[in-house]
Amino acid sequence: MKELPEIFKILYDASLEFVVIGGAAMHLQGSAYVTKDVDFCYSRTPENMRRLATSLAPYHPKLRGAPADLPFTFDARAIAQGLNFTLTTDLGDLDFLGEVTGLGSYKEVKASADTQIIDGIPVLVLSLSGLIKTKKAAGRAKDLYVLPELEGLELLKRKTGVE
Amino acid sequence: MTPEQSKLAYELITNPPAGSKLADAKDWGVDLTLLYANLKRTPSERARSFASMVHSYNGLRDAARESPPSQ
Repeated sequence: MKELPEIFKILYDASLEFVVIGGAAMHLQGSAYVTKDVDFCYSRTPENMRRLATSLAPYHPKLRGAPADLPFTFDARAIAQGLNFTLTTDLGDLDFLGEVTGLGSYKEVKASADTQIIDGIPVLVLSLSGLIKTKKAAGRAKDLYVLPELEGLELLKRKTGVE
Repeated sequence: MTPEQSKLAYELITNPPAGSKLADAKDWGVDLTLLYANLKRTPSERARSFASMVHSYNGLRDAARESPPSQ
């Protein structure tokens, strides 16, 4: 897994419209939650789907868990025909979601995001309230398990004013 | 995190207000000191610590696969 700032810079330099979500967003918001991949919500405009495909092409994206002989090219056409992609890349395991449970598409997710400056780059990160909303909506055991931590963390940040 | 914020955060995690979400988190088993430690980092520092966390996770997972619990 490459360092997060390096991954963000690659996507930022490609002018990709994205929001960090999931476990990586939890970590960036201050959680101690451990995860193994990085999740993003991406805008599904034709231009952004082209940018996504182009930015990841040098890092050999493959569908995670798919048979090795399954023909697949992560290009703008494939992205347009799908929605959510769980990828193995040379950068690490990266997931790109067109929609997020409980929030909606990129526009709604962006509206629930905070801007964090990471190594000089502005990065949209799903807010704690957004994370809580999507975890409640998803409702799986692993989502509900982290709710007390997220809600406690939200209170701690609100009381102290820490970003 | 300013010294004032650090002091307030430390007070809150060591003595969470009764009935608060922070107290609920502690009762749930969340180690509030880990939240405090992570909040003391800047967003850039948190981002840089993420990869090492993932490597640790994958190392533990691989070790568990290679050494299943004995019967």
